[in-house]
Amino acid sequence: MDSSVSSNSHGNLDEQISQLMQCKPLSEQEVRVLCDKAKEILMEESNVQPVKSPVTICGDIHGQFHDLAELFRIGGKCPDTNYLFMGDYVDRGYYSVETVTLLVALKVRYPQRITILRGNHESRQITQVYGFYDECLRKYGNANVWKIFTDLFDYFPLTALVESEIFCLHGGLSPSIETLDNIRNFDRVQEVPHEGPMCDLLWSDPDDRCGWGISPRGAGYTFGQDISEQFNHTNNLKLIARAHQLVMEGYNWGHEQKVVTIFSAPNYCYRCGNMASILEVDDCKGHTFIQFEPAPRRGEPDVTRRTPDYFL
Amino acid sequence: MSMAEEPLYPIAVLIDELKNDDIQLRLNSIRRLSTIARALGEERTRKELIPFLSENNDDDDEVLLAMAEELGVFIPYVGGVEHAHVLLPPLETLCTVEETCVRDKAVESLCRIGSQMRENDLVEWFIPLVKRLAAGEWFTARVSACGLFHIAYPSAPEMLKTELRSIYSQLCQDDMPMVRRSAASNLGKFAATVESAHLKADIMQIFEDLTQDDQDSVRLLAVEGCAALGKLLEPPDCVAHILPVIVNFSQDKSWRVRYMVANQLYELCEAVGPEPTRMDLVPAYVRLLRDNEAEVRIAAAGKVTKFCRILSPELAIQHILPCVKELSSDSSQHVRSALASVIMGMAPVLGKDATIEQLLPIFLSLLKDEFPDVRLNIISKLDQVNQVIGIDLLSQSLLPAIVELAEDRHWRVRLAIIEYIPLLASQLGVGFFDDKLGALCMQWMQDKVYSIRDAAANNLKRLAEEFGPEWAMQHIIPQVLEMVNNSHYLYRMTILRAISLLAPVMESEITCSKLLPVVINASKDRVPNIKFNVAKVLQSLIPIVDQSVVEKTIRPCLVELGEDPDVDVRYFANQALQSIDHVMMSS
Repeated sequence: MDSSVSSNSHGNLDEQISQLMQCKPLSEQEVRVLCDKAKEILMEESNVQPVKSPVTICGDIHGQFHDLAELFRIGGKCPDTNYLFMGDYVDRGYYSVETVTLLVALKVRYPQRITILRGNHESRQITQVYGFYDECLRKYGNANVWKIFTDLFDYFPLTALVESEIFCLHGGLSPSIETLDNIRNFDRVQEVPHEGPMCDLLWSDPDDRCGWGISPRGAGYTFGQDISEQFNHTNNLKLIARAHQLVMEGYNWGHEQKVVTIFSAPNYCYRCGNMASILEVDDCKGHTFIQFEPAPRRGEPDVTRRTPDYFL
Repeated sequence: MSMAEEPLYPIAVLIDELKNDDIQLRLNSIRRLSTIARALGEERTRKELIPFLSENNDDDDEVLLAMAEELGVFIPYVGGVEHAHVLLPPLETLCTVEETCVRDKAVESLCRIGSQMRENDLVEWFIPLVKRLAAGEWFTARVSACGLFHIAYPSAPEMLKTELRSIYSQLCQDDMPMVRRSAASNLGKFAATVESAHLKADIMQIFEDLTQDDQDSVRLLAVEGCAALGKLLEPPDCVAHILPVIVNFSQDKSWRVRYMVANQLYELCEAVGPEPTRMDLVPAYVRLLRDNEAEVRIAAAGKVTKFCRILSPELAIQHILPCVKELSSDSSQHVRSALASVIMGMAPVLGKDATIEQLLPIFLSLLKDEFPDVRLNIISKLDQVNQVIGIDLLSQSLLPAIVELAEDRHWRVRLAIIEYIPLLASQLGVGFFDDKLGALCMQWMQDKVYSIRDAAANNLKRLAEEFGPEWAMQHIIPQVLEMVNNSHYLYRMTILRAISLLAPVMESEITCSKLLPVVINASKDRVPNIKFNVAKVLQSLIPIVDQSVVEKTIRPCLVELGEDPDVDVRYFANQALQSIDHVMMSS
């Protein structure tokens, strides 16, 4: 009896997921209901959400829906493959709405199989400048869906910890944070502030220079190898996995393999020409990076030069 | 009937919304025009709705486009064919608007209505409309007019026919290239309705004028007309009138025109017959194959098999094959790719000796092409060559290329190769397969890319279907089961997937004795994802194994999984348990 009830309650969500997989957005009402459920799940998660291996760790997606679909073709489907996404689902690409809705729907349907962290673009201010706000307006005729999602973003966990070894977050370290317990203790449910530890986690970048530096981004800091080593030592970590920066090969080791950057939007902004990658952490904690290229776009010809249709 | 279901109030709203400021509401309303018409009745539709629409013509293009489309199927709502003419005025207006899509749709709807109208109504209403548009001051009207002649002409009396032909001829010499383009692209349709005497005199004159137009975009459309006209003419007339034009076109100074010729040429050969083909069209085609513009060579290369099929083998070997050889090392990868996609079709045309001597070296060089598309295009058509040169020769030269593609850097290339494996297996036979390709098929099961692993599992199933359960028992099952302890959960999952695909192909006894124990064992895996996939596999086995096995082995395992700490494992285990109950109830 119990299971038949549960299968009915998933029926609708399973349908919505397969609709989203075809890049068709949900209605405003469906988004509202979905985000209400997501909020209940996400508010229970920790600022340092524990995650078990095996899991596949992914970086920025930025509304490149077709490349997210390619990511699933490469890494496997959810729930069969476990996923950890490190933020920046929206802005820049053409399909922020479909991308973030799909990831949130998967989170609601399979809370144990997928973890979605907050990126610096999961914020009210940034999305008004870089496209998500405009896309919602274009696709729904009003800003309600943008409001629903940006309110939900406040609940996204800031960091995750895979098997107490790999510390995953969008940006990087903060001078105000020494231990993971520091992070566990603050109230994350708010708009990303302009400064302070929560801002730094989502904005900082590793750097070749030692110590803390001023970030050219105007938010967060740059941190050197000494900082990473100290942090990993203090917290008994093997690795910091983070996203946030375009890297041409899709992943990039830094700080003598104490830090790795993973970026999962191939040909970023449809013009950077970079590879994307994901990191598979298998059940024996082995690491495998898999690189991938942009998905072939539907309607784009195989041949690069075609007769221009100039007869009109 | 639907009137009764839809109360009058919404109709009033729909009519009101035709005038609403919000374009979305106007659009909805137009889309339900037939509902409004049914509610109003035929007479009020004719007297009120249609005149209203005729005046309502400075709306957004999107609304106009919808209106043009709806009116095309409106005859039943205005009282049938005898009243069809009332639909002409609003469409005539739409034929003159700026936006091309709207005009095209209006012309399409007019043709649809005109082809149902009675003959004297056409003379009274339709032909005058065509004449008005053709004399329109603004070029849009004249562009639209060209697309209506083939409907107007057949029912016109003799005098009017003469006039219509002369009007069309004027349109072909219009000052505006847009009008001439429309006249050129509609010429074939119009010509098909013209009597053969006038065809040779008037229409051919019109055609020849168009072929000498100074705009290449007009000449381009005239090329398209060549084949259509050629089919209307007797072969001797075709040779006299069309052939010289084509030969000229093949040397046109615009590469776009030559591109068009390259695409159309083989159709013309059919129209003119073998002798003129040999004399005139083969040299023209050879020129196109050697054109200095890559786009033209792509088009020509893509037609090489079709062209050879209408030639004798001797002609093909003498004239076409040397060009094919050149194209196989063309500097453009797209030319080589186009050639690779059709070249296999030449084998049956050329026969065994010429294929082995001349074509095989070209295949082999294309098989080693640096671009994967080129290599794939060759492999995908291998069956055609196999029939000609036989399996031994083919497999010797083929295998290295397949092995190389099987390890290509691009996963989509690997995927394409896997998808051809069952076809190759059926063609190359079981002996060839065991030695060489078996290992590759197992290697793909451990590819880094999920889609490849998934395709590899499917491939094993198709091979088992092709060669039978006994063969699979020896060459697939042991190798697959060996991999079930892989240290990576995703690879173990691929094995489970392969088992669920293979089980229906294998005999039930093998499934129960060999496959099922492995699945049951996997239910103790430490990774929840494996456990819920075990539940899914067990669910797929329920219909194909004996009831007693379900009760003794499958159900206890699922019951245990149903109490797993992981919510997803419990969910899929319960799904499978429900399906057992479902099968039991239905049996």
